[in-house]
Amino acid sequence: MAELDEIIHQPLRLKIMAALNALPAAAPGLEFSRLKKLTGATDGNLGAHIETLARAGYVAVEKAFVGKKPQTTVTATAAGRGAFARHVATLQEIIAASARQP
Amino acid sequence: MIDSQQASEALADISEMTRRVRQSRIYNLASLMLIMWGALVFAGYLGSFLLPRYAGYLWAALNLAGVAGSFAISAFGYPKSGIRTFDVRMLIAFLLFFAFGFLCTSVLGHFTPRQMSTFWPIYFMLLYIIAGLWIGQAFVVIGLGISALALVGFFLIGDWFDLWMAFVDGGGLMLGGLWMRRS
Repeated sequence: MAELDEIIHQPLRLKIMAALNALPAAAPGLEFSRLKKLTGATDGNLGAHIETLARAGYVAVEKAFVGKKPQTTVTATAAGRGAFARHVATLQEIIAASARQP
Repeated sequence: MIDSQQASEALADISEMTRRVRQSRIYNLASLMLIMWGALVFAGYLGSFLLPRYAGYLWAALNLAGVAGSFAISAFGYPKSGIRTFDVRMLIAFLLFFAFGFLCTSVLGHFTPRQMSTFWPIYFMLLYIIAGLWIGQAFVVIGLGISALALVGFFLIGDWFDLWMAFVDGGGLMLGGLWMRRS
């Protein structure tokens, strides 16, 4: 059985990746404030976990100014989408394997 | 390695996030439509108040503009959201819904302008309320709120009824759209 992706498996990072993967690949990603609302995380905690995912190459972070307000947009990369799909497949395998046991 | 219980919980978290993101995208597109329809409805009631003789033509033109605008918003939003909010099936549903309303108000019964102005928003809000049972409570709140205020206007507001409806129905839809963008 494939190993779980330890970077994605952490609960908040799993939520971040799930949210980003729910968007079509062509979509422009999610703003930091929207991700915060969706995950229920604090600014600092969310920022730290996005940084971890970005270091792994799973998400891309783009900072821009809209008027005078800074706006951070987070997008799942192709590598991130692939890793997330494998992680979900592994989770499903674990459940299936457990169901096969007598 | 985790056990199947933990794996199930992780998959449930993923499903929940997917649902929330989808709802957020629907709200985002629906809010644009609400704001657009709110502005059109506001103009319609204002026109009915100021130029009652031409109200029928005005409403027909505004409804056509609304359908065209809904198509445009849906087409513009689809590449970003992957969600079609207004397609051919929605157009057919809209026409069927409209035809049934017309049958009730102008064929089976003969509503007065005031009854028409109360019936149509309540009838459309019924659709919002029913849709809201599946796609999000914001639709239910907006639908119930506007319906209740439309009935207040029908029973309690005299000659200013169309102006009341401009703010209640048109303004309500626009405010509802803005609120939905924040939720």
